[in-house]
Amino acid sequence: MRAASLVVVIALALPLVLGQFWAYQLGLYALYASAAIGIGLCWGQSGFLPLGQALFFGLSAYLSGFAFIAFQQHSFIAVLTMPVIAFVSGLFAYGIGFVVLRRPGENTAYFSMITLALSLLAFQIATSWNSVTGGFDGLKGIPGLPGLSDLSDVYYVSAAVLLIVLGLASWLYHAPLGVLWRALAQNERRLALLGFDVRMLKAVAFAVSGFMAGVGGAVYAPQQGIVTPQLVGFGLSADLVIWAAIGGRASLIGPVIGTLLVGSLSAELRDSVPFWEVLMALFFIVIVLAFPQGIAGLIEPAWQRLEGRPRGPAPVLAPKGLTDRPAARLALSDVSVHLGEVTILDHLSLDFDRAGIFCVIGPNGAGKTSMFNVVSGELAASSGRVDLGGMEIGALAPHRISHLGLARKLQIPSVFPHLSIADNLAIALWSGRATKLQLLDPRLRRWTSPMLEELKSRYPFLASGGRKAAELSHGEQQILELAMALLTEPRVLLLDEPCAGLSPEETGAVVDIVRWAARRLRGSVIIVEHDMSLVKELAELVYVLHNGTLLARGSVAAVQASPAVRAVYVGGTK
Amino acid sequence: MSAPRLAFANVTGGYGSTVIVRDLNGAVAAGEVLCVLGRNGVGKSTLMKLLCGYLPCRSGHVLLDGRPIDGFEPSARRRAGLTYCPQERPVFDDLSVRDNLSLMHAARQLGPLRPYFERFPILERRLGQHAGTLSGGEKKVLSFVRGLAEDQPLVLLDEPSEGVQWENILHMAECIAAKKAAGTAFLVVEQNLAFAERIADRYLVMDQGRAMLEGSRADIDRGRILGHLHV
Amino acid sequence: MDALIVTQAINVVYAVSTLAVLTLGLAVIFGLLGVLNIAHGEFVMIGAYCAYLTQSWNWPYLVALPLTLALCALLGAAVERIMIRPLYRRPFDTLVATWGLSLLLRKIAEAIFGPGFHSVTIPLPGTVQFLGIEYPIYRVVLIAVSFAVAAVLMIWYGRSRTGSRIRAMVSNPELAQAQGISVRRLAAATFIAGTCLAGLGGVMVAPLVPVQPFMGLDYVLRAFFVLVVGGLGSVPGLLSGAAAIGGVDSAISAASNATDGYFAVLVLAILFLWLKPRGLIARG
Repeated sequence: MRAASLVVVIALALPLVLGQFWAYQLGLYALYASAAIGIGLCWGQSGFLPLGQALFFGLSAYLSGFAFIAFQQHSFIAVLTMPVIAFVSGLFAYGIGFVVLRRPGENTAYFSMITLALSLLAFQIATSWNSVTGGFDGLKGIPGLPGLSDLSDVYYVSAAVLLIVLGLASWLYHAPLGVLWRALAQNERRLALLGFDVRMLKAVAFAVSGFMAGVGGAVYAPQQGIVTPQLVGFGLSADLVIWAAIGGRASLIGPVIGTLLVGSLSAELRDSVPFWEVLMALFFIVIVLAFPQGIAGLIEPAWQRLEGRPRGPAPVLAPKGLTDRPAARLALSDVSVHLGEVTILDHLSLDFDRAGIFCVIGPNGAGKTSMFNVVSGELAASSGRVDLGGMEIGALAPHRISHLGLARKLQIPSVFPHLSIADNLAIALWSGRATKLQLLDPRLRRWTSPMLEELKSRYPFLASGGRKAAELSHGEQQILELAMALLTEPRVLLLDEPCAGLSPEETGAVVDIVRWAARRLRGSVIIVEHDMSLVKELAELVYVLHNGTLLARGSVAAVQASPAVRAVYVGGTK
Repeated sequence: MSAPRLAFANVTGGYGSTVIVRDLNGAVAAGEVLCVLGRNGVGKSTLMKLLCGYLPCRSGHVLLDGRPIDGFEPSARRRAGLTYCPQERPVFDDLSVRDNLSLMHAARQLGPLRPYFERFPILERRLGQHAGTLSGGEKKVLSFVRGLAEDQPLVLLDEPSEGVQWENILHMAECIAAKKAAGTAFLVVEQNLAFAERIADRYLVMDQGRAMLEGSRADIDRGRILGHLHV
Repeated sequence: MDALIVTQAINVVYAVSTLAVLTLGLAVIFGLLGVLNIAHGEFVMIGAYCAYLTQSWNWPYLVALPLTLALCALLGAAVERIMIRPLYRRPFDTLVATWGLSLLLRKIAEAIFGPGFHSVTIPLPGTVQFLGIEYPIYRVVLIAVSFAVAAVLMIWYGRSRTGSRIRAMVSNPELAQAQGISVRRLAAATFIAGTCLAGLGGVMVAPLVPVQPFMGLDYVLRAFFVLVVGGLGSVPGLLSGAAAIGGVDSAISAASNATDGYFAVLVLAILFLWLKPRGLIARG
């Protein structure tokens, strides 16, 4: 709060200190700054970069210009349209995000290119659609906001708008949604496996950024009185990215500092200092490659001291899951997977028909991990069906399968490295429990559950909330990930070599937690494991896979005695 | 006595923060075959990747002819005389069998491969085909022939017999024997004990990333090896 | 009537072949190295400015070629070393870095040559008669050279020793290293080849377009769309992508206007991203 009041005081005092001209200039850049915050939200928080953000700024500016011209006599109606326009801009961004961000992972680069292209297209439309946009010369004669007397009034309106957008961003960054955005940038796969719709999360992030740009644009039109095609074009789009980067894309205040400082300085120095823009471009590259924190990285420590330590939060008990979980029964019937000419699973049928601990073993290339990938929804089966608790899940996305009561721990520890331990655990608690609307409620970060309390008492490091997951040892990360999988209270838990690379003590800890989880969840735990001593210790039933199909099934002793299994493991003369 | 072809001491390493191989030691002299045995998942292939420079050793050293090669990248290790035939993705799927065999030969002649074609006629019949169309076992044979034909003093084979017909496994054993007699050193990772018994001079048996048994073939009891190979 | 149809047909061939040659550089770098070089268009721009400089110094037009190649190779090598090599396998970071590079090159061009247009005189003026029509010689030469460059590149990639090594590196980099190929050096050479091809394209189209600092943006987007539609990693894919994008663009632009043409191209690219993300002809 202290930091926020400081910002407000500075904002109020600026025109008195700098004089009217600079106040007016800053009033303009404050509008750009709200768009730059949106860039920070997408790029610094969520990990994808829109290169055509001016599209939304300019679109809203045009719409707002039309509104102010149309309602010239009733300027208060025009003012009322401004939030609607910003909302339309956000909706438009949502549509684009939803269409272009359809596939996970790699297409973040494609997304950037498409947004850049859209901004170029908008520029072409704005220049050539003379009758509506006024063409290259722009839309002129837009009446100003009613009731403003001088330049500092203009400034105060912009500053108020910027503070509102900042407040919105600050709230979102502290809410579960912001945590999920940061998680998205760090480990998209883990987030999907935990039951979150990553495509929706990205589209919402982009929508909010479009809304923020829309707010700036809607105020721009009456403030400047003219809207030109440059406002939708790549030039402003590029500037917004540069300002956000130099100011510090990952921080809340960074894009604002960057825009106000670099933006308004550029407007002054562009013409007087030779190569100013070349220098800025160079500066941008250096920042991207070497100082991703930007200017905000320099002031962040002071900022945090100002914020003060957060008060120790009182935990809140999380509600029960939103959906009814089916019985703990996983069955694969006649599942085949072909990739090109290679057969990975070959008419595989497996039935884990009761609660308990099961181990799946088999030589390399037997299809164990592929089987897991099919079950968790990451690999499409070419034929056959997969049922979880009697429901066919073959065509469902990973996050839907997770909601039906499946959790999975990956082989290499897969957590959100730059989030705190507490946030890592909280994300798991939200899965399947929090409604979409609740993700806006910062109090959810204090959720706990009986299982979490038990886990914390077993493994005290889980209670050292503020530490980042990346600071944990390898073994602790394995346990953290396992704890996250457990907190979703799954009926079926898939574990891929949970003890890989662990010391004997850590292995013992994992064995304990697996046994405890199986009892606690009254579900089935299915483990892919190479370490036979572990299999002997844990497995009630062993499934042996070979060449993508089931070779044997039975108790540890029965499987060990099977000549077919022996032949596969020791190799023979055939 | 001169330095062994390949020696590794206290080698520890893995992927990222995951340590797979712990504190392994070993050496292979010229004209000797060391077989590394163990179930899958115990770290055999990781050891190979540490020796070839694909993964950095957390600690320990790798020496080629007594010279430390720790900082060398894989291509530099190859130029220093180390041939490696990986277990997974053993060939260039997008290249023809001919290109796979002649990629690094200046003249691109297949003449020196004649003796291998006599043992593995399937390769000669498939010269024009993309290697991606071969079966898993055929790829292994192709990779094996490519590796041996490089004529380097040290050859690392990662599960050469996987998926290969027994008849061709026997041919492989004979090829290895012939090369060995000419002074080549081999380090072979295997799960197939019958094959290992035909080629090995010495064994290194691994379990859970560590050395369990080590010594000459005659010294190590078959039953104890089986204990570590069986499920 | 016939003559009009023939002219239109050759116009489409011309549009498609220039698009193809302007895409080659991006295709090499994106298709083989997986690096999306957003500064691709600025290397085209460098080629175009080299052509402009050559003419303004009254040198023979062909001098622009070695000039461009030298400049693009030097710059490509530096860029590869400083911003690409440390970021391989981090496609998002290379995207941002090359975007910064494109900005830098644009601003440098603007600082040196000013923001305005420059025009380059067509080095081979006049027309040629065939199939009952008259057509500018330079465009005919351009079509021929484009196809020749694509064909030479395809044959070289398929047959030469370096070509097979690059294929080996792309197919299985670890095995390529095991066989003594220095993937680092080969990847750097491939990157430089890509930037040089982009520069070459710039020299070729310079006389037909306004030369200005922002010309590269349009090229990189079109080249990118060609790859989205055509698929990565094969010359037939590139040609089919260029045919689709160039064909749609010239057909709609002729029937309506350039904005609609651009809109159609964008819609086509987004449809492919949705429905056929590997493009028409993926590397196989």
